[in-house]
Order: sequence, then C-alpha cells, then structure tokens
Amino acid sequence: MSREFIALAVMGIDQHENGVIAVARVIREAQMQVDYFGKFNTPASVADRAIRGDADVVGISCHSWEYVRLVPQLVEELRKRGSDIPVVIGGSVITPEDGEKMRQSGVAAVFTSSVDTDELIECLRALSKSRKRAVPRESGR
Amino acid sequence: MSIKTRSGLPLQRVYMAERGEGERPGEFPFTRGRLSNPHTRTNWIQRELSGEGDGRRSNEQIRYLLDHGQTGIDVIGDAPTQSLLDPDHPLAREAVGTQGVSLCRKQDFLDLYKDVRFDEASISSSVPAFFALAGLVLAARAANFPFDRLRGSILHGPLYTEDCSYAWHLPVEFRVRLALDSIEYCSRHMPKFHAYLEDTYFFSESGLTPIEEMALGFVQLRHLVRKLVARGMAIDSFAPRIAFLLNCGMDFFEEIAKIRATRRLYAKMMRDEFGALNPRSLSVAITSHTSGLSLTAQQPINNVVRGAVQALALVLAGVQALEISAFDEAYRTPTKDAHIVGLRTQQILDLESGAAKVLDPLGGSYFLETLTDQLEERIRARIDVLEAMGDPETLSACGFFREIFHRAMEEAQHGVERGELSVVGVNVHRMADEEDTLLRGVTTCKIETCHRHTETIERFKRERNIARLCEGLEGVAVAAAGSENIVPAVIAALDASATIGEIATTMRSALGMPPDLFDHPLPNRSSGNRHVA
Repeated sequence: MSREFIALAVMGIDQHENGVIAVARVIREAQMQVDYFGKFNTPASVADRAIRGDADVVGISCHSWEYVRLVPQLVEELRKRGSDIPVVIGGSVITPEDGEKMRQSGVAAVFTSSVDTDELIECLRALSKSRKRAVPRESGR
Repeated sequence: MSIKTRSGLPLQRVYMAERGEGERPGEFPFTRGRLSNPHTRTNWIQRELSGEGDGRRSNEQIRYLLDHGQTGIDVIGDAPTQSLLDPDHPLAREAVGTQGVSLCRKQDFLDLYKDVRFDEASISSSVPAFFALAGLVLAARAANFPFDRLRGSILHGPLYTEDCSYAWHLPVEFRVRLALDSIEYCSRHMPKFHAYLEDTYFFSESGLTPIEEMALGFVQLRHLVRKLVARGMAIDSFAPRIAFLLNCGMDFFEEIAKIRATRRLYAKMMRDEFGALNPRSLSVAITSHTSGLSLTAQQPINNVVRGAVQALALVLAGVQALEISAFDEAYRTPTKDAHIVGLRTQQILDLESGAAKVLDPLGGSYFLETLTDQLEERIRARIDVLEAMGDPETLSACGFFREIFHRAMEEAQHGVERGELSVVGVNVHRMADEEDTLLRGVTTCKIETCHRHTETIERFKRERNIARLCEGLEGVAVAAAGSENIVPAVIAALDASATIGEIATTMRSALGMPPDLFDHPLPNRSSGNRHVA
C-alpha cells in the first residue's frame, strides 16, 4: 500500500519556516511521505503542484495574517481544478474566530500551537485514508 | 553619585580579586565590560521593537514609547519592506503593515521620524540596511539635523538573510557589497553611527545554540572586516563603530558567558589579527534582544517572566542596549500593552533591582569564569572549522548555511517534543485551552492589513514626476553595474521619489537578473526537496 503523501507550503511573503520545517520532520518520522514546497507560493501554485504530485493532504503553515485571504483561495483553486485534496492549516497566529472562518471556507482541520504531535498525525492519517477510499487510483508511488 | 545597598553599605563600581589582581572592566580583553561611556543617561539604551501600519501610525508608537521613558528607537519593517517589495506588489498586498511598518519611499521615513529628536534618541531599525540608511539620512536632512551627529545603527546579515530571514532576491556577492558600501558610507559621513551591527539575532532564532550563533556571527563579521580592509580602509576607521546584536535565550548563565566570551574573542581578534590600535576598535558594543523563539503561544503571561529573566542576564552581562521580545510575540508585533510591560521591566531592573550598580557583578565566579573560558574556546574552534570549509559567500550561495539553519529548526522543536528541553505550558505544566485565558484577548488582537496605505502608494506613483524618478533610478543602475559606492545613488533615487521595490528591481536588472523574481518561479527556492522521505 502506498504511504500517505503530505504536501506542505508557506504562501505569500510569509517567511517564517521554523514551524513548517519542524512539522515536516514529525510527519516524516511518522513514516509518511512529505514534500515541502518552500516559501513564496501562491494559492494557484500550491494547487498545481499538489495535484501534479497527487498529494493526499495539503498543509499550509500560517505565521502571517495573509493566510486569512490566501487559504480560502487555495481551497477554491483546488476545487476549480476538480481536486478534492483536503487542506489543513497550522500556526500560532490563527485565532479561534479565524479558525472557524477557515473551516467554513472548506479547510478540513485547523491546528494551533497547542496541538500535540499524535493528534496531528492521527488527523493527517484519517484525512489521507478517507481520500484514498474515495478516489481509487493507480499504484506506483 | 555614590552608590550603596539598601542597608547603606557603600558600593564600588568595580570589584576585583584580592590584591586587585586580574582583569578590570573596561580593560583589554574586555571580558568584564566595554569601555564605559560616562555620557549615557541610563545604564543601557532601553527600547522596545515597534512598527505597524504606515509611517504615521508607527510614529505615534515611537512617541508613546519615548514619552514613557524609552531611550532609543528600534523600528521593524513589515514583510514587504523587509523583502524589498512595494505595498502594491501582488504578493505583498495582504501583508502591508501587519508585522511591522510599511516603508517604501522617502515620505514614509519623514512620517515615521516626524518630530523625533535625533539628538535625544538613537535610531535603529530592522529594515534592509542600505534602505534604512538612505531613509534616515533624508529624514535628518528634512529636519535640518546634521547627519554626522546621528546616533543609532543599521544591521547586516548578508551571508544569511536569504536563508532564514526575509529574502531580498539578490545574489550574495551583491548583498555583501551593499553591506560594505553602507558601512563605508557611514564611516565617512556618520562617525557617531554604528554602521555595522553584526546581527546574529535573526538567524539564531532558527534555534541555534549560543556557540553556533556566535561562530556564524564571527564568520560573517570576519568576512566583512577582511573585505573592508581589502578596500583600503584602515581598521581603526570603521572598527570603533562595529557592534553586535545578539540573541538571549533562557539558559541564564550560558547567555551571560556568551557575551563575556564574545567581548574577549572580539578584542583579541581585532588586536592580533586585524592590528587595530584604537581601544574603541577593541571593545565591542553589544545590544541584545531577548529570544522571541523562547516565547510561547500558550499561557502568554509566562512570557513576561521569560523576558524579565533574560533581560536580567543581559544586564548582568553589561550590554549597551536591550530589547525585550514582547509577551504577544507568538502572534504579532507588540501591542501598546506589551510595549509598556517590556519597557517597565527594563526600568524596574535599572532603577529598582540594583543589578546594574556594579560592573560585571558576577566576574570572578568559579562557574561563570569557567563557562566563559569554555565558550571562548568552543566558539573559536567552531569558527576555525567553518572558515576551513571555504569562502563564506560560496558556502552561502550553495546552501551550506541554509542546511545548518534548517537542521536547527528541526532540532529545536524535536528537543521540546522529546522533553529534553522543558518549556512550561508546552511540554510541562500544560493548561487546557479553555482555562488558558489570562492576557489571551490582548495577545491575539489582530493588526488589520493597511490597504489604505497601498492606495496612497498607488496614487503617489501616478502623480510623481517621472523624469526625476527615471534619473534617480538610472543613477542606481549605473552604480549597481559599476563599483563606486552605491549608497549616494540610493539616497538620490529615494529623494527623487523612487520606491524600495523600484530600486531593488533596478539593481536586479543592472545585475542581469529578472527584475521581479516572483514572475519567475524557481523550482527549488527552498530546501524543499530535502524533505521528501
């Protein structure tokens, strides 16, 4: 069985990478596959690359309030392209109200800094699994 | 003024070993403290990082802080400013004024420093140095303040900016040149200004250890000093205006030892390797910010305590300027409330605790002296290893340093997860979210994007004199392609209504690069691929 494949990115000109790099390691150590797209992504560039790589989940690291505008755009870009890849976000700047707004705009899960690692991994596994069931695809990765 | 304890015991400013043996504060190699400056009003320059919205709003913050006893100014630019982008750049719009002040043109600097008494406060900023310098010169000129009397600093980190700070999208050789040109310009025209603040703070926030922080700092400093000397500048013409901006984390004694070891290493290096003679060239000024990385989103009030502990370490180490990262750091640039708490913490340390009455009060401690010696030795050894790797600019370009920073980012978090490093509220003594409410409201108060300022900039760009603008940018293009000092051209362009974004794109064009790298996505702009399992 292919492993879960998580795409991670930072969008806009947010350039705080501590969080996303630490998370990439946690996910890798949980035996999932990770591709970190780096900085300076736009919603469209993340959507394209995630679809091309057939990601199971897209995770966006948010350490600047740009995400409030950009994350809903990312969900839209994915859906526009006919993709159901779930989007999750994480970061210390996410307030409870904004987190709720993000959920309403189609974000599958919101992680604030108080999340623990097991919870995060479990959620990513569950999201990957439900997607794998829903969308059968060729093996190979 | 005589100093004494609360019981009335008279205190000396300096204590020595029996029979007066050993090193005195203010004497080579300055382990125990820099040459003291009798003119400073307080024991150290007390300031807090500020900046949000446009120049006017940030000016209000500055004046509020000065009114409450701040003795220096340190302004941080927002993400677009730090990235050399104008507010109307498509990628910048949502980030205008949210994590610092938006500065892209001369008028922004005039607004920012309006009615600031340049003779009363030193002006520092976390803004790209060549740009901050040009803006400050124009603001001083507009206020009729002779800029040879300006005090303050600009910070440089050309080897490391692209990797763990805001990327400029300029090649390392050119970033180094901008640093050297700025330093050279200041040494000629602004003798009281710290032209070169070696900033180890921003890159050590990746989670570096104090030894690694200082080794990388010295590698960069030595590289720039060698290049300045190679330009024909006498070491004593610029070394007196070099200073360090260091990080200060939670390891209390190691941080104090780091600062003492840094002063000693610097003094020996300047004297023995660079042949400096002026005592001011040997005794480096140190400013420090307490670590933002050590602060937590959980139980934010605990950050007030962390700030106080770190600031005490810095006071005991004898720094020349200090900033406390505010308790709301995990969320935002400081609110008014966070500003006042940071400033008051410094004032309490200064005026109530007596911690700064005696110079180097911990000098002579068996433990601290041993730790200082060990740090000196380990930092020195690590500098040698790094320098043996090759030319630092080549190492920077090929991602060698980026690897170090990214590994530190992983390790710092990993240490917390494994419980090797205790962080109260994070991996020990946690609190349920619903219970964790103290200071929550003020801490998570959001700063709205300053769209109004972007509209102002768009209008400004439409209405300015295009002929003057083109002339200004042409000067930058010529200087960038040539080898003369670029700072006068940047000042002239800014004065002729050019913006930082336009100056940067002009520089890239002159270097034969695509003017706006955001139009030319690079596949591997980060170390992304390394993370594929």
